[in-house]
Amino acid sequence: MTSQQSEPRPANAAVPRTLAEELRARDDHSLADLLHARPDLLNPVPSDLTQLAARLSSRASTLRALERLDRFTLQTAEALAAAPDGCADTVVRNLLGGPARVKPHPAATPADRAAVASALPAAIATLRSQVLLWGPDSALRLVIAVREALAPTAANPGRTGLGPTLAEATLGMSPARIQQLIAGAGLPPTADPVTAVAALGKLLQDRKRCAALLAEAPAPALALLEKLVWGPPTGTVPDAARPVTVDEARSPVEWLLARGLLLPSSAGSVVIPRELALHLRGERSHRTVEPTPPAITPTLERDPQAVDNAAAGQAYTAVRTVEELLEAWGLQPPPTLRAGGLGVRDLKRAALILECTEPTASFWLELAYTSGLLAPDGETDERWAPTPAYDHWLQQATADRWSLLARSWLAATRVAGLTGTPDGKGKTRAPLGPELDRTLAPSVRRATLEALAGLPAGGVADAATLLPLLRWQRPLRGGPVGADGRDFRDHLVDWTLHEAELLGITGRGALGAPARALLDHADPATVLDPLLPQPLDHVILQPDLTAIAPGPLLTPLSQALALCADIESKGGATVYRFTTGSIRRALDAGRSAADLHSFLAQHSRTPVPQPLSYLIDDVARRHGVLRVGAASSYLRCDDPGLLAEVLADRRAVELRLRMLAPTVLASQAGPETLLSVLRSMGYAPAAESAEGDVLLTHPDSRRTPPRTAPTPVPDGPPEPDRVLLTAAVKAVRAGDRAATAVRRETVTGPAAHRPQSGPARSDLRQLPRTAAADTLAALQTAVLLGERMWIGYVNAEGLSSQRVIDPVKVEGGYVTAYDHLSDEVRTFALHRITGVAELADSAQ
Amino acid sequence: MNDGPLIVQSDKTLLLEIDHPKAADCRRAIAPFAELERAPEHVHTYRVTPLGLWNARAAGHDAEQVVDALVTYSRYPVPHALLVDIADTMGRYGRLQLSKHPVHGLVLSTTDRPVLEEVLKSRKVAPLVGARLDPDTVIVHPSERGQIKQVLLKLGWPAEDYAGYVDGEAHPIELEQDGWTLRPYQQQAVEGFWHGGSGVVVLPCGAGKTLVGAAAMAEAKSTTLILVTNTVSARQWKHELVKRTSLTEDEIGEYSGTRKEIRPVTIATYQVMTTKRKGSYAHLELFDARNWGLVVYDEVHLLPAPVFKFTADLQARRRLGLTATLVREDGREGDVFSLIGPKRFDAPWKEIEAQGYIAPADCCEVRVTLTDSERLTYATAEPEERYRYCATTATKRRVVEALVKKHEKDQTLIIGQYIDQLDELGEVLNAPVIKGETSNAQREKLFEAFRNKEISVLVVSKVANFSIDLPEATVAIQVSGTFGSRQEEAQRLGRVLRPKADGHSAHFYSVVARDTVDQDFAAHRQRFLAEQGYAYRIIDADDVL
Repeated sequence: MTSQQSEPRPANAAVPRTLAEELRARDDHSLADLLHARPDLLNPVPSDLTQLAARLSSRASTLRALERLDRFTLQTAEALAAAPDGCADTVVRNLLGGPARVKPHPAATPADRAAVASALPAAIATLRSQVLLWGPDSALRLVIAVREALAPTAANPGRTGLGPTLAEATLGMSPARIQQLIAGAGLPPTADPVTAVAALGKLLQDRKRCAALLAEAPAPALALLEKLVWGPPTGTVPDAARPVTVDEARSPVEWLLARGLLLPSSAGSVVIPRELALHLRGERSHRTVEPTPPAITPTLERDPQAVDNAAAGQAYTAVRTVEELLEAWGLQPPPTLRAGGLGVRDLKRAALILECTEPTASFWLELAYTSGLLAPDGETDERWAPTPAYDHWLQQATADRWSLLARSWLAATRVAGLTGTPDGKGKTRAPLGPELDRTLAPSVRRATLEALAGLPAGGVADAATLLPLLRWQRPLRGGPVGADGRDFRDHLVDWTLHEAELLGITGRGALGAPARALLDHADPATVLDPLLPQPLDHVILQPDLTAIAPGPLLTPLSQALALCADIESKGGATVYRFTTGSIRRALDAGRSAADLHSFLAQHSRTPVPQPLSYLIDDVARRHGVLRVGAASSYLRCDDPGLLAEVLADRRAVELRLRMLAPTVLASQAGPETLLSVLRSMGYAPAAESAEGDVLLTHPDSRRTPPRTAPTPVPDGPPEPDRVLLTAAVKAVRAGDRAATAVRRETVTGPAAHRPQSGPARSDLRQLPRTAAADTLAALQTAVLLGERMWIGYVNAEGLSSQRVIDPVKVEGGYVTAYDHLSDEVRTFALHRITGVAELADSAQ
Repeated sequence: MNDGPLIVQSDKTLLLEIDHPKAADCRRAIAPFAELERAPEHVHTYRVTPLGLWNARAAGHDAEQVVDALVTYSRYPVPHALLVDIADTMGRYGRLQLSKHPVHGLVLSTTDRPVLEEVLKSRKVAPLVGARLDPDTVIVHPSERGQIKQVLLKLGWPAEDYAGYVDGEAHPIELEQDGWTLRPYQQQAVEGFWHGGSGVVVLPCGAGKTLVGAAAMAEAKSTTLILVTNTVSARQWKHELVKRTSLTEDEIGEYSGTRKEIRPVTIATYQVMTTKRKGSYAHLELFDARNWGLVVYDEVHLLPAPVFKFTADLQARRRLGLTATLVREDGREGDVFSLIGPKRFDAPWKEIEAQGYIAPADCCEVRVTLTDSERLTYATAEPEERYRYCATTATKRRVVEALVKKHEKDQTLIIGQYIDQLDELGEVLNAPVIKGETSNAQREKLFEAFRNKEISVLVVSKVANFSIDLPEATVAIQVSGTFGSRQEEAQRLGRVLRPKADGHSAHFYSVVARDTVDQDFAAHRQRFLAEQGYAYRIIDADDVL
């Protein structure tokens, strides 16, 4: 609690009296900036500035804004919260940097006063633009909710480690005891407790007198204070509240208690008053003040050209890896788990396909999913399959394909690094499964990359180097701390650096040029494109029946080649091997030997080696010589010799073949069995239709119905654009003009309406009626000024009543107040309050 | 993108485009650490393996050089993970060292204590070591020197062996270079081996591995045990040693199934060494029979498993391995590395051919079409008889006749698997046949006659696969083989690769029956040669007839 009443109100008429007034005085641009920085205020668009002011003071919105401050701005706000309301910026400067002539406490890190002085205006401007603070530099006022969140109390000392002020700590103490305390401190008695506390406060704030008082203290008592000075400000002692006088004091604690240098904070603990702690600290609010972000120096500097090349190489690999995975899954889509996600066995299979470890495979899976290229197909027997967007993606240039992956990754809230770790119930989190969304991820990812971008080109930095800066930028956004003492952000930074390397965002640890474009919201594809190897239209054919593509191939060429040859090794180049099986596959797909010959001759940089031509001719000659019918399951061949060979083969016994004619065999087995057994025997039979045509076989690639990419889970409302902001500001302005056009006395507290005893059955129209925003604003003001209010209230049974209350606190949709009607402190739901009015004699 | 000749693949193979102007420089840069896997016409494939990287470390290269070679010559950026992995793997070699301690004999010491702790925890290491002398040193039983090297390699921490060698019993051996000299690459191979202490020299068939062995013996000047694949090969070694060195016939002993001589230089066959009698190896005493200063292993890639076991006990002797390829079908390359030693020298086949030391060869597959009646018989033959049937068809005979006629001025070898077929061919061509039952005296006589060009055609069975030397054979015709053995194909080609006096190119014909298993086996056999850079032409039998 703060001591609002004791602060002098700004007398100058030009200075706005309330937050709403202050907002009204701002220009549209400044309001738009506010709404941009705190987009949660836009939802819904506030009807006028009073409502905006009320919403600005809500605890949730305030905490959200505080979380996004950097360390120095936050320290500024904390110092302000420890200072009296309405203090000047010089007071804050001294609290942060230490007053010039006061010797700092030995445990404090020496502060750079000049740096503090130069960084402070910007910090105050930030706080002001986000309306966490208002008023001129000469009288800075924190928004109430900010003060409540940051002001040090005995129970919650915050990051300053300070305790409550003397006035707050002595609240509720008997006047006699207070007189005892000031007597103990050697002050003359006063007329009332308020002046007594003020006198003691003045003593503690006066450096000379306070030092003199402490000089009398016994050494153990000083040692005790020393323990509390940097926080936590409380210590446990038995029976802290007993009224000890100077004469009765025996122990060091009692010595301090008797003089008001320690005050009871509860029955079993004592607290050091803020004024004394500040005196001992050398008038500083923080032990370490960090006015500037920690500088990061690269651990290594690489040639930027080499970095870009390495990043581009990896970007190319990333695109290929995703394509390879989805091609494989298109043909053999794995099932989704009942709980969502992918089974362990299918993950292993994916890792095998991609020739990488399982965690890396998880990353590629998540990447394909967040990019909208992979989704569950929604069938009863649900499977993961490429989406139609994948087919579109395939048609694009490599650089554009990479852009999609990189953008999706940067914005994704899904965290691939979490897969394989146990969840709350000890179950392992499956890739593509639920519970992988973390709202912290996108901002940490971007912050990490931007920290890297801040290094000179080619600069390499590891997580340990970057983390101090990230912590400084968002001290409150670390996420939960794990058992190993590292918070979630630490892990995210590790994962981000690792994934960035895989994706080609970084090359050999340094940020690549395409990624810089990505961070600047430019088109990374135009930067990446010239760095990528140009697709080739030729291969090198070798006599050992291999074909080597010494770089990426044009898509039609690589598809055609993949049909007639098996891939043996991948990387910068691709090695294909022609085998009887692969040639047969091409023939099965409808290519003729002549097609293959001309295709190879056309795309080979070297003459087609003779063994390869022979292989194609050999396979083609035998291909389709045997014909198998589905209807009657027959096996016919123009060559009786070959049929005899099949018939005589022991391995064909299970087919139960019978010779119908020298050129036709019939089988009892189905055509499929017949085909596969014959092939396993080394033949190249062809299936034929009822009309005698050769059936062509095409591998069927699976696709989902149209699917959209999973939308990242926002950790707040979407960032509003200029148009929306302008419109919102206009709407608020209009609403505000409407609200303020009428005089504020629309719902004046009618003198005739005296509070009635007992619930009134009077007509609702007799109750005061105000708009919800006005009600809230009026109650907040009343809390501030300690005013008494007259309210109309409808209880849970629908009975309306009028009450006179002394509001204490407005929070979370409830007003806590002393109710004169029931003569007790109770809470009222804000939405049940029909309206409020000031009492005619509110000053009383 | 830089314009290098090298492409690094994700499976750690390296593709080298050999028509590239920088290809030769690149090959020199990567040869120390990458094994040549395939060397067809345009693009050679190398593979980076832990063993290869450790070989490079043993030869004094460091990770920086390896990474630099890859980065300098690679056309596309080399994946960072691969570079890290290379540095990591190479860093593992030499963290552990075997050395001699003045008091305690053999000790294992480390430069990195956690590594020693890690390996000492292994149950396989525990029985091989003794007391811990200090935190970084532990005693190793001298008899376990080979064992521990094997085990440490398996654990991924290969130890460097600084424990040195015993000199062995001295015996004067000199090379007699009258009218011939060691070729430069042979000289380099010997120096590489001698400098390294022990290790393997990789040279293609016909490149003069025997001379490398002889030169190594002349360097060691001590009693030597030579282990070879078979008796013919043993005789060949003896012949060559007498001819090229100061050794006399009496100083060289043969230890084989038929003879058991132990002399200052003893040549033993693998077969006799691995003969078991009553469950135990009968001829192990040979290893202790003399105080050998050098042990030479011929054809290391064929070294039988028991010989590895004996070799583990010979770690204090200098060991020289000779081979055409480090690739073993059984995958025991690691044992070769830990027990015989790292690779000390290699030169690819084609490069030596280019220098003129082995003859260029024209390889040709002649496709024979079976007649209809033959096809029917083939089709209905029992599976186990099929290969024999198609490999020995009568049609092939006419083709062989035609080929011999075409090369009637050349010394021609006809090589086959089936004795009936060979006898028949011998009869038709009026040529002598050498097969298993031919006595050694008769063989030597026929070989001599062939060398002197008294006879121009010789029909041989598979007894001639290994290590016989027929210097003037310029044409080889293969009519049948041991199914799909790639090893055999390489050995047979080796028969015609000895350099020819007139610089003629050699011819190697393989006669194959079309559309049969013969063709499949032939394709499999040829793969090795195609990978070594020998392009096979295929011609139709009709073109020959």
